[in-house]
Amino acid sequence: MPHHYQKPYSLASALVLGFLLGAGSLPAWSAPMTFNTALPVAEGEFITRIQGVRRQSGDDPSSADRDLTVNALVTVLGYGATPKLALFGVLPYLDKELRLTNEGQRVRRSKEGFGDLRLFGRYTVFQQDQPGRTFRLAPFAGIEAPTGEDDASDALGRLPPPFQLGSGSWDLFGGLVLTHQTLDDQIDSQLSVRFNNEANGFEAGDEARWDLSWQHRVWPRDLKGGVPGFLYGVLESNLVYQGKNEVNGIKDVNSGGTTLFLAPGLQYVTKRWIAETAIQLPVIQDLNGTALENDYIFRAGIRFNF
Amino acid sequence: MKKMFFKMMGVLGIWVLLSPFAMAAGVQYQVRVDGLACPYCAYGIEKQFKQIYGVEKIDIDLEKGIVFVDAADDVELSEDRVKTLINDSGFTYRSITREPR
Repeated sequence: MPHHYQKPYSLASALVLGFLLGAGSLPAWSAPMTFNTALPVAEGEFITRIQGVRRQSGDDPSSADRDLTVNALVTVLGYGATPKLALFGVLPYLDKELRLTNEGQRVRRSKEGFGDLRLFGRYTVFQQDQPGRTFRLAPFAGIEAPTGEDDASDALGRLPPPFQLGSGSWDLFGGLVLTHQTLDDQIDSQLSVRFNNEANGFEAGDEARWDLSWQHRVWPRDLKGGVPGFLYGVLESNLVYQGKNEVNGIKDVNSGGTTLFLAPGLQYVTKRWIAETAIQLPVIQDLNGTALENDYIFRAGIRFNF
Repeated sequence: MKKMFFKMMGVLGIWVLLSPFAMAAGVQYQVRVDGLACPYCAYGIEKQFKQIYGVEKIDIDLEKGIVFVDAADDVELSEDRVKTLINDSGFTYRSITREPR
Protein backbone atom coordinates (compact mmCIF):
# COMPACT_ATOMS: atom_id res chain seq x y z
CA MET A 1 0.00 0.00 0.00
CA PRO A 2 1.46 3.39 -0.93
CA HIS A 3 2.62 5.55 1.89
CA HIS A 4 0.07 8.28 1.26
CA TYR A 5 -2.72 5.74 1.87
CA GLN A 6 -1.60 5.12 5.40
CA LYS A 7 -1.35 8.65 6.62
CA PRO A 8 -4.90 9.83 5.96
CA TYR A 9 -6.37 7.12 8.18
CA SER A 10 -5.19 9.07 11.16
CA LEU A 11 -6.79 12.24 9.90
CA ALA A 12 -10.18 11.05 10.92
CA SER A 13 -8.92 10.10 14.31
CA ALA A 14 -9.27 13.51 15.86
CA LEU A 15 -12.91 13.73 15.00
CA VAL A 16 -15.00 11.93 12.44
CA LEU A 17 -15.98 14.50 9.87
CA GLY A 18 -19.54 13.40 9.51
CA PHE A 19 -20.31 13.77 13.17
CA LEU A 20 -18.69 17.16 13.43
CA LEU A 21 -20.16 18.57 10.29
CA GLY A 22 -23.52 16.87 10.41
CA ALA A 23 -24.81 15.34 13.60
CA GLY A 24 -23.05 17.99 15.56
CA SER A 25 -25.13 20.60 13.80
CA LEU A 26 -28.61 19.23 14.09
CA PRO A 27 -30.83 21.91 15.46
CA ALA A 28 -33.15 24.20 13.58
CA TRP A 29 -34.62 26.33 16.36
CA SER A 30 -33.25 29.40 17.97
CA ALA A 31 -30.72 27.16 19.54
CA PRO A 32 -27.10 26.14 19.62
CA MET A 33 -25.20 26.16 16.35
CA THR A 34 -23.02 23.14 17.00
CA PHE A 35 -25.51 20.70 18.52
CA ASN A 36 -29.13 20.03 19.40
CA THR A 37 -31.83 21.61 21.57
CA ALA A 38 -34.98 20.50 23.35
CA LEU A 39 -37.18 23.34 22.11
CA PRO A 40 -40.45 22.30 20.48
CA VAL A 41 -41.47 21.86 16.87
CA ALA A 42 -45.21 22.49 16.62
CA GLU A 43 -47.30 19.62 15.35
CA GLY A 44 -47.44 19.77 11.57
CA GLU A 45 -44.72 22.43 11.39
CA PHE A 46 -41.66 22.11 9.18
CA ILE A 47 -38.37 23.72 9.99
CA THR A 48 -35.30 23.76 7.85
CA ARG A 49 -31.77 24.89 8.19
CA ILE A 50 -28.92 25.31 5.77
CA GLN A 51 -25.50 25.73 7.27
CA GLY A 52 -22.20 26.27 5.54
CA VAL A 53 -19.26 24.74 7.40
CA ARG A 54 -15.54 25.08 6.75
CA ARG A 55 -13.14 22.93 8.67
CA GLN A 56 -9.42 23.57 8.42
CA SER A 57 -6.71 21.28 9.77
CA GLY A 58 -3.13 22.02 8.96
CA ASP A 59 -0.93 21.69 12.02
CA ASP A 60 0.49 18.30 11.16
CA PRO A 61 2.92 16.70 13.63
CA SER A 62 4.08 14.22 10.98
CA SER A 63 6.51 14.73 8.09
CA ALA A 64 3.67 14.42 5.58
CA ASP A 65 2.74 18.06 6.31
CA ARG A 66 -0.92 17.29 5.76
CA ASP A 67 -3.31 20.11 5.12
CA LEU A 68 -6.99 19.23 5.21
CA THR A 69 -9.87 21.45 4.17
CA VAL A 70 -13.49 20.33 4.31
CA ASN A 71 -16.27 22.57 3.08
CA ALA A 72 -19.78 21.37 3.73
CA LEU A 73 -23.30 22.54 3.13
CA VAL A 74 -25.48 20.81 5.69
CA THR A 75 -29.23 20.79 5.18
CA VAL A 76 -31.56 19.88 8.04
CA LEU A 77 -35.28 19.27 7.66
CA GLY A 78 -37.41 18.83 10.77
CA TYR A 79 -41.07 17.96 11.20
CA GLY A 80 -43.30 18.06 14.25
CA ALA A 81 -45.01 14.66 14.18
CA THR A 82 -46.67 15.30 17.54
CA PRO A 83 -46.19 18.11 20.06
CA LYS A 84 -43.51 16.00 21.74
CA LEU A 85 -42.05 13.97 18.88
CA ALA A 86 -39.98 15.69 16.21
CA LEU A 87 -38.36 13.90 13.27
CA PHE A 88 -35.28 15.12 11.44
CA GLY A 89 -33.22 14.41 8.38
CA VAL A 90 -29.72 15.78 7.88
CA LEU A 91 -27.92 15.64 4.55
CA PRO A 92 -24.46 17.14 4.03
CA TYR A 93 -22.89 18.09 0.74
CA LEU A 94 -19.15 17.75 1.16
CA ASP A 95 -16.09 19.06 -0.59
CA LYS A 96 -12.95 17.49 0.88
CA GLU A 97 -9.42 18.38 -0.06
CA LEU A 98 -6.20 16.94 1.33
CA ARG A 99 -2.70 18.14 0.48
CA LEU A 100 0.26 16.17 1.73
CA THR A 101 3.88 15.52 0.96
CA ASN A 102 4.56 12.02 -0.29
CA GLU A 103 8.06 10.88 -1.24
CA GLY A 104 9.17 14.48 -1.59
CA GLN A 105 6.27 15.55 -3.75
CA ARG A 106 3.23 17.59 -2.85
CA VAL A 107 0.08 15.58 -3.54
CA ARG A 108 -3.50 16.82 -3.72
CA ARG A 109 -6.49 14.55 -3.26
CA SER A 110 -10.09 15.67 -3.25
CA LYS A 111 -13.67 14.53 -3.49
CA GLU A 112 -17.02 16.30 -3.66
CA GLY A 113 -20.61 15.11 -3.33
CA PHE A 114 -23.39 14.17 -0.94
CA GLY A 115 -22.42 12.49 2.31
CA ASP A 116 -24.33 10.12 4.55
CA LEU A 117 -27.97 10.83 5.41
CA ARG A 118 -28.73 11.10 9.08
CA LEU A 119 -32.26 10.39 10.37
CA PHE A 120 -33.31 10.76 13.95
CA GLY A 121 -36.19 11.40 16.30
CA ARG A 122 -36.36 13.45 19.45
CA TYR A 123 -39.00 13.04 22.14
CA THR A 124 -39.70 15.51 24.94
CA VAL A 125 -39.96 13.54 28.18
CA PHE A 126 -40.06 16.47 30.57
CA GLN A 127 -41.44 19.96 30.11
CA GLN A 128 -41.95 22.68 32.67
CA ASP A 129 -43.37 25.92 31.32
CA GLN A 130 -43.82 29.21 33.10
CA PRO A 131 -44.55 32.69 31.77
CA GLY A 132 -41.60 33.64 29.56
CA ARG A 133 -39.54 30.58 30.38
CA THR A 134 -39.32 26.87 29.75
CA PHE A 135 -37.27 23.87 30.83
CA ARG A 136 -37.23 20.73 28.72
CA LEU A 137 -35.51 17.39 28.58
CA ALA A 138 -35.47 15.32 25.42
CA PRO A 139 -33.65 12.13 24.48
CA PHE A 140 -32.94 11.53 20.82
CA ALA A 141 -31.75 8.60 18.74
CA GLY A 142 -31.01 8.02 15.13
CA ILE A 143 -29.17 6.26 12.40
CA GLU A 144 -26.73 7.32 9.75
CA ALA A 145 -27.40 5.65 6.43
CA PRO A 146 -24.50 5.03 4.04
CA THR A 147 -25.82 7.22 1.24
CA GLY A 148 -22.48 8.85 0.48
CA GLU A 149 -20.04 7.30 -1.97
CA ASP A 150 -17.60 5.03 -0.15
CA ASP A 151 -15.48 3.61 -2.95
CA ALA A 152 -14.34 6.73 -4.79
CA SER A 153 -10.92 6.85 -6.46
CA ASP A 154 -8.68 9.45 -7.95
CA ALA A 155 -5.51 9.30 -10.07
CA LEU A 156 -3.62 7.96 -7.06
CA GLY A 157 -6.02 5.11 -6.44
CA ARG A 158 -8.83 4.46 -4.01
CA LEU A 159 -9.35 7.24 -1.50
CA PRO A 160 -8.79 6.19 2.12
CA PRO A 161 -12.01 5.69 4.12
CA PRO A 162 -11.95 8.97 6.05
CA PHE A 163 -11.87 10.87 2.77
CA GLN A 164 -14.69 9.03 1.18
CA LEU A 165 -17.93 11.02 1.19
CA GLY A 166 -19.71 8.23 3.05
CA SER A 167 -18.66 5.74 5.69
CA GLY A 168 -20.26 2.77 3.97
CA SER A 169 -21.68 1.62 7.30
CA TRP A 170 -24.94 2.00 9.19
CA ASP A 171 -24.03 3.91 12.33
CA LEU A 172 -26.11 4.63 15.41
CA PHE A 173 -26.17 7.68 17.60
CA GLY A 174 -28.22 8.99 20.48
CA GLY A 175 -28.20 11.20 23.50
CA LEU A 176 -30.01 13.49 25.85
CA VAL A 177 -30.44 17.23 25.54
CA LEU A 178 -31.78 19.72 28.05
CA THR A 179 -32.79 23.29 27.42
CA HIS A 180 -33.56 26.12 29.80
CA GLN A 181 -34.85 29.17 28.02
CA THR A 182 -35.99 32.55 29.30
CA LEU A 183 -36.67 35.77 27.44
CA ASP A 184 -33.12 36.90 28.23
CA ASP A 185 -31.02 33.75 28.08
CA GLN A 186 -30.93 30.20 26.86
CA ILE A 187 -28.79 27.34 28.10
CA ASP A 188 -28.56 24.01 26.30
CA SER A 189 -26.56 20.97 27.28
CA GLN A 190 -26.24 17.69 25.48
CA LEU A 191 -24.64 14.34 26.18
CA SER A 192 -24.38 12.06 23.19
CA VAL A 193 -22.68 8.96 21.87
CA ARG A 194 -22.11 7.55 18.45
CA PHE A 195 -21.39 3.92 17.60
CA ASN A 196 -19.61 3.43 14.31
CA ASN A 197 -19.63 0.16 12.42
CA GLU A 198 -17.16 -1.46 10.07
CA ALA A 199 -17.27 -1.09 6.31
CA ASN A 200 -14.60 -1.80 3.70
CA GLY A 201 -12.18 -2.95 6.41
CA PHE A 202 -12.37 0.36 8.25
CA GLU A 203 -14.20 1.23 11.44
CA ALA A 204 -14.03 4.74 12.83
CA GLY A 205 -13.68 4.96 16.60
CA ASP A 206 -16.83 5.38 18.63
CA GLU A 207 -17.48 8.85 19.98
CA ALA A 208 -18.82 10.54 23.06
CA ARG A 209 -19.37 14.25 23.45
CA TRP A 210 -20.65 16.82 25.89
CA ASP A 211 -21.87 20.09 24.50
CA LEU A 212 -22.85 23.30 26.25
CA SER A 213 -24.33 26.50 24.91
CA TRP A 214 -25.20 29.84 26.43
CA GLN A 215 -27.15 32.41 24.46
CA HIS A 216 -27.74 35.90 25.80
CA ARG A 217 -30.05 38.46 24.26
CA VAL A 218 -27.97 41.55 23.55
CA TRP A 219 -30.59 43.41 21.52
CA PRO A 220 -33.21 44.69 22.08
CA ARG A 221 -32.21 45.47 25.64
CA ASP A 222 -35.85 46.00 26.62
CA LEU A 223 -38.92 44.29 25.25
CA LYS A 224 -41.80 46.55 24.29
CA GLY A 225 -44.50 44.23 23.06
CA GLY A 226 -44.91 42.24 19.88
CA VAL A 227 -42.37 39.74 18.60
CA PRO A 228 -39.19 41.69 17.90
CA GLY A 229 -36.11 40.12 16.37
CA PHE A 230 -33.57 39.03 18.98
CA LEU A 231 -29.83 39.38 18.58
CA TYR A 232 -28.11 36.77 20.71
CA GLY A 233 -24.48 36.58 21.68
CA VAL A 234 -23.57 32.90 21.79
CA LEU A 235 -20.84 30.93 23.49
CA GLU A 236 -20.67 27.18 23.00
CA SER A 237 -18.28 24.45 24.02
CA ASN A 238 -17.86 20.94 22.67
CA LEU A 239 -15.91 18.28 24.49
CA VAL A 240 -15.40 15.43 22.05
CA TYR A 241 -13.77 12.08 22.69
CA GLN A 242 -13.16 9.57 19.93
CA GLY A 243 -11.79 6.07 20.28
CA LYS A 244 -9.13 4.68 17.97
CA ASN A 245 -10.04 3.68 14.45
CA GLU A 246 -9.63 0.09 13.33
CA VAL A 247 -8.11 -0.83 10.00
CA ASN A 248 -8.70 -4.46 9.11
CA GLY A 249 -9.32 -5.20 12.78
CA ILE A 250 -6.13 -3.48 14.01
CA LYS A 251 -6.27 -0.36 16.13
CA ASP A 252 -4.71 2.70 14.54
CA VAL A 253 -2.46 4.25 17.18
CA ASN A 254 -2.45 7.51 15.27
CA SER A 255 -6.14 8.04 15.72
CA GLY A 256 -8.60 9.07 18.38
CA GLY A 257 -8.27 11.44 21.28
CA THR A 258 -9.98 14.29 23.02
CA THR A 259 -10.70 17.81 21.80
CA LEU A 260 -12.34 20.74 23.52
CA PHE A 261 -13.73 23.46 21.31
CA LEU A 262 -14.94 26.91 22.31
CA ALA A 263 -17.26 28.59 19.87
CA PRO A 264 -18.21 32.26 20.13
CA GLY A 265 -20.94 33.38 17.77
CA LEU A 266 -23.86 35.62 16.93
CA GLN A 267 -27.43 34.73 16.11
CA TYR A 268 -30.27 36.94 14.88
CA VAL A 269 -33.66 35.38 15.52
CA THR A 270 -37.00 36.46 14.05
CA LYS A 271 -40.37 34.73 13.94
CA ARG A 272 -39.76 33.12 10.54
CA TRP A 273 -35.99 32.96 10.08
CA ILE A 274 -32.67 32.91 11.87
CA ALA A 275 -29.24 33.98 10.64
CA GLU A 276 -26.19 32.83 12.57
CA THR A 277 -22.47 32.42 12.57
CA ALA A 278 -19.88 30.93 14.91
CA ILE A 279 -16.31 29.75 14.87
CA GLN A 280 -15.20 26.65 16.77
CA LEU A 281 -11.69 27.02 18.10
CA PRO A 282 -9.88 24.04 19.60
CA VAL A 283 -8.55 25.06 23.01
CA ILE A 284 -7.45 21.57 24.05
CA GLN A 285 -6.38 18.82 21.66
CA ASP A 286 -5.11 15.66 23.28
CA LEU A 287 -4.81 13.38 20.30
CA ASN A 288 -3.11 10.03 19.83
CA GLY A 289 0.08 9.72 17.81
CA THR A 290 0.20 11.82 14.69
CA ALA A 291 -3.51 12.43 14.50
CA LEU A 292 -4.13 15.68 12.68
CA GLU A 293 -5.26 18.58 14.83
CA ASN A 294 -8.03 21.02 14.01
CA ASP A 295 -7.25 24.66 13.28
CA TYR A 296 -10.84 25.89 13.30
CA ILE A 297 -14.36 25.13 12.17
CA PHE A 298 -16.33 28.08 10.81
CA ARG A 299 -20.11 27.96 10.58
CA ALA A 300 -22.65 30.29 9.01
CA GLY A 301 -26.22 29.47 8.27
CA ILE A 302 -29.85 30.33 8.03
CA ARG A 303 -33.00 28.62 9.31
CA PHE A 304 -36.63 28.90 8.25
CA ASN A 305 -39.90 27.57 9.53
CA PHE A 306 -42.97 26.99 7.41
CA MET B 1 -83.32 68.45 -5.83
CA LYS B 2 -81.22 70.36 -3.34
CA LYS B 3 -82.96 68.55 -0.45
CA MET B 4 -82.36 65.21 -2.10
CA PHE B 5 -78.66 66.06 -2.48
CA PHE B 6 -78.32 66.96 1.21
CA LYS B 7 -80.19 63.79 2.23
CA MET B 8 -77.84 61.67 0.13
CA MET B 9 -74.81 63.46 1.51
CA GLY B 10 -76.16 62.95 5.03
CA VAL B 11 -76.61 59.21 4.50
CA LEU B 12 -73.17 58.98 2.97
CA GLY B 13 -71.63 60.90 5.88
CA ILE B 14 -73.26 58.62 8.44
CA TRP B 15 -72.08 55.55 6.51
CA VAL B 16 -68.54 56.91 6.35
CA LEU B 17 -68.59 57.72 10.06
CA LEU B 18 -69.93 54.33 11.08
CA SER B 19 -67.95 52.17 8.68
CA PRO B 20 -64.81 51.94 10.86
CA PHE B 21 -66.96 50.59 13.67
CA ALA B 22 -68.61 48.15 11.31
CA MET B 23 -65.18 46.99 10.09
CA ALA B 24 -63.94 46.63 13.64
CA ALA B 25 -66.80 44.40 14.61
CA GLY B 26 -65.73 41.02 15.92
CA VAL B 27 -64.13 39.56 18.96
CA GLN B 28 -60.65 39.41 20.37
CA TYR B 29 -59.42 36.43 22.36
CA GLN B 30 -56.46 36.90 24.64
CA VAL B 31 -54.72 33.61 25.30
CA ARG B 32 -52.04 33.39 27.95
CA VAL B 33 -49.32 30.90 27.08
CA ASP B 34 -46.54 29.58 29.30
CA GLY B 35 -43.14 28.53 27.98
CA LEU B 36 -42.99 30.98 25.09
CA ALA B 37 -39.60 32.71 25.25
CA CYS B 38 -38.23 33.28 21.76
CA PRO B 39 -39.42 34.83 18.49
CA TYR B 40 -38.83 31.70 16.41
CA CYS B 41 -41.06 29.60 18.66
CA ALA B 42 -43.95 32.06 18.31
CA TYR B 43 -44.60 31.06 14.71
CA GLY B 44 -45.73 27.57 15.72
CA ILE B 45 -48.57 29.07 17.73
CA GLU B 46 -49.48 31.55 15.02
CA LYS B 47 -49.67 28.75 12.49
CA GLN B 48 -52.04 26.71 14.63
CA PHE B 49 -54.50 29.60 15.06
CA LYS B 50 -54.35 30.55 11.39
CA GLN B 51 -55.92 27.22 10.54
CA ILE B 52 -59.18 28.26 12.18
CA TYR B 53 -61.79 29.58 9.78
CA GLY B 54 -62.82 33.11 10.72
CA VAL B 55 -59.61 34.07 12.49
CA GLU B 56 -58.57 37.38 10.98
CA LYS B 57 -55.44 38.44 12.77
CA ILE B 58 -52.96 37.09 15.31
CA ASP B 59 -50.61 39.21 17.38
CA ILE B 60 -48.26 37.94 20.04
CA ASP B 61 -46.77 39.80 22.95
CA LEU B 62 -43.71 37.75 23.71
CA GLU B 63 -42.85 39.54 26.93
CA LYS B 64 -46.30 39.03 28.44
CA GLY B 65 -46.86 35.62 26.89
CA ILE B 66 -50.19 36.64 25.38
CA VAL B 67 -51.58 35.64 22.01
CA PHE B 68 -54.19 38.09 20.67
CA VAL B 69 -56.58 36.43 18.27
CA ASP B 70 -58.96 38.67 16.32
CA ALA B 71 -61.87 36.77 14.89
CA ALA B 72 -65.29 37.26 13.36
CA ASP B 73 -68.28 37.45 15.70
CA ASP B 74 -69.47 33.97 14.89
CA VAL B 75 -66.15 32.32 15.69
CA GLU B 76 -66.34 30.59 19.02
CA LEU B 77 -63.04 29.43 20.45
CA SER B 78 -63.72 27.10 23.31
CA GLU B 79 -61.19 26.69 26.10
CA ASP B 80 -60.69 23.05 25.20
CA ARG B 81 -59.96 23.87 21.59
CA VAL B 82 -57.48 26.59 22.48
CA LYS B 83 -55.84 24.32 25.00
CA THR B 84 -55.36 21.71 22.28
CA LEU B 85 -53.93 24.28 19.85
CA ILE B 86 -51.42 25.53 22.39
CA ASN B 87 -50.50 21.99 23.34
CA ASP B 88 -50.01 21.08 19.66
CA SER B 89 -47.63 24.01 19.39
CA GLY B 90 -45.55 22.51 22.16
CA PHE B 91 -46.46 25.03 24.88
CA THR B 92 -48.68 25.20 27.95
CA TYR B 93 -52.08 26.87 28.01
CA ARG B 94 -52.79 29.15 30.98
CA SER B 95 -56.02 31.11 30.40
CA ILE B 96 -58.28 32.75 27.85
CA THR B 97 -60.50 35.86 27.82
CA ARG B 98 -62.95 37.03 25.18
CA GLU B 99 -63.79 40.65 24.48
CA PRO B 100 -65.63 42.50 21.73
CA ARG B 101 -63.33 44.51 19.51
